[in-house]
Amino acid sequence: MTSADTISSETIDVSVWRGGAEGRYETFAVPLRQNQTILDVVTWIQRNADPTLSYRFACRVGMCGSCAMTVNGRPRWTCRTHVSKVVENGKVELGPLANLPVIKDLAADMTSFFEKWQKADGAFVPSKTRHDPIEEILPNTPARIEASAAIECINCGICFAACDTVRWQDEYLGPAALNRAWTLVNDERDAGKSDRLRAVAAAGGCHACHSHQSCEQHCPQKLNPTASIAGLKRLTMHAYLRGDL
Amino acid sequence: MTRPVVERTRTDILILGSGGAGLLAALHAHQTAPDLSITIATKGLLGKSGCTRMVQGGYNVAVNPADSVERHFMDTIDGGKWLPHQKLAWTLVSTAIERIRELENEIGCFFDRNEDGTLHGKAFAGQTFDRTVHKGDLTGIEIISRVMEQIWARPINRLEEHRAISLVPNKAGDAIAGVLMIDIRTGTFRYVEAKAVLLATGGGPTMYRYHTPSGDKSMDGLAMVLERGLPLRDMEMVQFHPTGLLAGTDTRMTGTVLEEGLRGAGGHLLDGNERRFMEDYDPAMERATRDIVSRAIYAEMRAGRTTENGGVYIKMGHLGPETVAKKFKGMVERCADCGFDLAGGLVEVVPTAHYHMGGLICDVDTSTELPGLFVAGEDAGGVHGANRLGGNGVANSTVFGGIAGDTMPGYLAQNPHWLEADEAIIDEAIAKATAPFGKTGGDLNGLRERLLDLMWDDVGVLRDATGLARAVEGLDAISDELEATGLPDADRAFNLTWHDWLNLRSQIAISKVITHASMARENSRGAHYREDFPDAGDMESSTFTVVREAGGKLTTVNEPVVFDIVRPGDTLLKDEPAAAE
Repeated sequence: MTSADTISSETIDVSVWRGGAEGRYETFAVPLRQNQTILDVVTWIQRNADPTLSYRFACRVGMCGSCAMTVNGRPRWTCRTHVSKVVENGKVELGPLANLPVIKDLAADMTSFFEKWQKADGAFVPSKTRHDPIEEILPNTPARIEASAAIECINCGICFAACDTVRWQDEYLGPAALNRAWTLVNDERDAGKSDRLRAVAAAGGCHACHSHQSCEQHCPQKLNPTASIAGLKRLTMHAYLRGDL
Repeated sequence: MTRPVVERTRTDILILGSGGAGLLAALHAHQTAPDLSITIATKGLLGKSGCTRMVQGGYNVAVNPADSVERHFMDTIDGGKWLPHQKLAWTLVSTAIERIRELENEIGCFFDRNEDGTLHGKAFAGQTFDRTVHKGDLTGIEIISRVMEQIWARPINRLEEHRAISLVPNKAGDAIAGVLMIDIRTGTFRYVEAKAVLLATGGGPTMYRYHTPSGDKSMDGLAMVLERGLPLRDMEMVQFHPTGLLAGTDTRMTGTVLEEGLRGAGGHLLDGNERRFMEDYDPAMERATRDIVSRAIYAEMRAGRTTENGGVYIKMGHLGPETVAKKFKGMVERCADCGFDLAGGLVEVVPTAHYHMGGLICDVDTSTELPGLFVAGEDAGGVHGANRLGGNGVANSTVFGGIAGDTMPGYLAQNPHWLEADEAIIDEAIAKATAPFGKTGGDLNGLRERLLDLMWDDVGVLRDATGLARAVEGLDAISDELEATGLPDADRAFNLTWHDWLNLRSQIAISKVITHASMARENSRGAHYREDFPDAGDMESSTFTVVREAGGKLTTVNEPVVFDIVRPGDTLLKDEPAAAE
């Protein structure tokens, strides 16, 4: 099927990070298309200009969080970023996500992001089993509303890459992990709350957050991890005053 | 040629794939036998590649007291046009109840509730009860994120960005010995010896011009079992979704799904001249079933009544742009990010290959013909027959993934030893994977485009003997050209172009199987439509296709469907008329 898409003679200059921790930017002239995302630009370079360019993607529609990169200095999901939104004077600069080691070119190693998710006790601790019926839970209690507001994280790492505290402090757990912990402390089914509060109150936990709100500004799912972390700060403070921490 | 270095590691249980099937299998195997070493190998990042994450609709399960397992079963058999393997379908619907409780109570998923706190079930096409449990329209993210956390919290080994290229048997060829992989990050080979292997790579008909699955999928799993001579069933059954986004040349978002609900809510489909055309095809208009709407759009496209990029339009604006933006928030935002106004304007759409019902033949405990090899999820065939109900996909992967995890430790108790690999197979797989590096010339991107067009045009929504014969020849030519297509051997680390070459090889291999099975089915059932054989055929004497490869040749046979739970015309529902057909 041939396409009548506007194949324009216009191009944009795309600077792309090449290498690992050490490397350099290389520039490619990429033809403009009407309905083009940054992921399409990267794909065009790999298919047509330099077959060795490395990057990561999977779902193509903003659900898997695999394709986040640094676009003109800001972390973004590239499959849902239209070129027209970011092109400046005919130029775009692309690098791997910040605050994570580079594997090669545009692909970052996300291991530390997920390890910190675990350090924040970011996995549900059951109080029931598969042999019990599903609990009746009112959808509009204050705690459930808090949990629901913060739950639709796709673990893309954009908040982690945008966060100053992550950059400054190696042990800081980061916005996504703490946001997950907040959804769990508001989950009436979870049996791991006291351990989790200890985990997020420890050094590198919620009290390390400086509330710069970069996470909220950059989250493609429009979540507000800063507010979740503020919630954890209140809860851990109360627990401390009660002598529970 | 000297063999490149192959790193060798060992594990008790090796799981290929990290979608719903792979992750549930790992959890269950670890719960059943905590002392076993379990390894998950995945082409992308754990839980991020594959399609479970992309589930929008939900999870079919008969948990409402007013519903029943029998009703869910009859809907599944009826939807599958009497081709499903009935014991597999029964296992699906009956185990789904325990699995949804496990997902909620043990793993921590939270599904939407009614105002009284009970689980909400939504209506979904083709079902006689509102049994689709969901989390908004992002059910897959909730399921996979929660399961992924549980995996990270356990001592389960992860081989991320590892691509399996060959299932390696023992020397006698009568059991699995391990799997050869490419470590994508380094570009080196790794052989993982395992006593049991689960194939859960997730199918996905990405060889069509327009397709919905995750872009990293390329039918590697089925291509590997085909090489081992194992039987694939129902391979002609490729489900098309009627409304994929059409964005034009060089756009990855082309083909991704615009949800079913848009038509249900009253969206209109218009041809290139903005004429509403569904009235020419079905009195239900845009609300007709997926297969009917897909065939209508495909016929419009073939008649040339298309939009600028070769599709049709979907129009929602007459329902009120603000209402649409509120009701279909996710879809409207997704379209807006890519430059389209779904709420108020016209958006170009095309039918798009969505799910592959066909797959490796297996038993209800997920075992296969090759001892030690198990299969679950979209790689397995038989559960859905000729058509999968929306909401039965994620139920299938999590139900049978869990069963595989329960079954494999028992197999290991009977077969406690690692087996010596057939080294000749490892050598052959390495030679085939590195073949492009010695060569120059060829046009890899051009070949991919040709494959996408060929499958779309000749093995797509509407099929006939002439087109299928043309496809057989065309696929042979593309296959030969790929073998002659070279790649610069500069740097194999994270070399996506090498993986594009390997993707194409798997896609071609399975495209041939789909074509052969389509030729063998001389009737029109569910997702498979033959213009030269438009009738569904006799239900009582229904057969399913089985394709195998031997000596580079494909053979197809038609096997009778076993009606061991219910016969066509009968029903398991008491006091109710039998289902149609």
